[in-house]
Amino acid sequence: MILSKKVILLGHFGVGKTSLIQKFVHSKFSEKYITTIGVKVDKKVVRVNGRELSLIIWDIAGENARQKVPQAYKMGAHGAIFVFDVMRPSTYENIEDDIKHMQSILPPMPFVLVGNKKDLMSEQKLNVLKKALPKNDFFFSSAKTGELVEEMFGKLAKLMTQ
Amino acid sequence: MRDREHKEVMGKSNLMIKLRELLLEEDRINQEKLTNEVQLLKDEFNTRSKLEHKIDPIIEDHLDKLKTDFPTLFGPVITETIKYQIKHSQDEVVDALYPIIGKLIRKYIAREIEMLSEKVDAQLDIAFSWKGWINRFKAWFSGSKETDIVFQGVAEPVIEEIFVIEQNSGLLYGSYSRNKTMDQDMIAGMLTAIKSFVVEAFKSGEQELESIEYESYHILFKSFKKYFLAVAVSGTITASFKDKLDGTVLNFANKLRKQAQEVNNTDTDVFSGYLEQYFKEINK
Repeated sequence: MILSKKVILLGHFGVGKTSLIQKFVHSKFSEKYITTIGVKVDKKVVRVNGRELSLIIWDIAGENARQKVPQAYKMGAHGAIFVFDVMRPSTYENIEDDIKHMQSILPPMPFVLVGNKKDLMSEQKLNVLKKALPKNDFFFSSAKTGELVEEMFGKLAKLMTQ
Repeated sequence: MRDREHKEVMGKSNLMIKLRELLLEEDRINQEKLTNEVQLLKDEFNTRSKLEHKIDPIIEDHLDKLKTDFPTLFGPVITETIKYQIKHSQDEVVDALYPIIGKLIRKYIAREIEMLSEKVDAQLDIAFSWKGWINRFKAWFSGSKETDIVFQGVAEPVIEEIFVIEQNSGLLYGSYSRNKTMDQDMIAGMLTAIKSFVVEAFKSGEQELESIEYESYHILFKSFKKYFLAVAVSGTITASFKDKLDGTVLNFANKLRKQAQEVNNTDTDVFSGYLEQYFKEINK
């Protein structure tokens, strides 16, 4: 009997949510669903503390994290991943408001912040950016190289089973 | 002389005192006893714990009696009150019940008309077509029922897959499948997404997506408060099949309601077992 948890991926258009999932799971549904109904569901079974956990990952489309996305897609989530593009400040400038908004519509749940496309930014600039971000669990990852992709999903899985 | 008189008076007085003592001693003792008892009663009455100790069993007895006799004692009054409320607050009652009753009646009438229409169509087809005459002859020679021969030609509806899915999260409680194709968890998630999308896109509010159709394949949705059922059916869905399916769905929901306290949403095997038990029969 495998325990299942719903994970939602939120973030602006083009930050790399779908690419991160593609790196993490072997997608079975076509990406075209994201442009048609605004969401695509994937699944990955991970091991947490010796037990199998099934992550049902909802890749939710949106111009930004709040607008033009059916709110129902987020309902019943057990964990969330906020993805932003380290190269585009507009995708993380309002991240705290986005987090507050999520917390206002959903019951308390764990989440991680992920700055994607780190391969395009120098370590020095990343350090500066790090200081400007909220003090949450966050990762600088790269869907291109796969760096820290497994780790950020693993971290959320652990948080959800605590 | 005076002394003697004085002694006589004193003697009489002592006698009176002794007499009084003799006559009133019992009364005095009784009075003292009564005073003590009143004091004790006062103490019991004014001390909450002591009073509770005495009164609680009586109250409990009365409450038990009230519980047993409630329908007899208050039933008529309550019925009268409800009648009065309904009579004098008709608008509010209608407002509250209209959507529920209306929905039920609409569904019932639609299904009855559908069944009637199917019956009429079938009758007309059989009565006036060449095939009808052929079937009639076949039935006449073979000794079987004419309707059985007609229905053999129709693609029978078959339940291919059923999913019990949690509302909102889209997590799979359990599933039954004749031929497992894709990952059941992902299908459950996508079906939930499609359902939510339709409700939000068309602002249908309280209304629910009831079915998705493509060629001869149908996915029927049956919603409950905590979960919904998605039933994938191949073949031609007849009204009688729908009726049978609805009955089975209600029986299944009833079973889940009774088992709800023992089964949690991680017991997918238990849910899947129930599904097979209830819905496999329909395919036979």
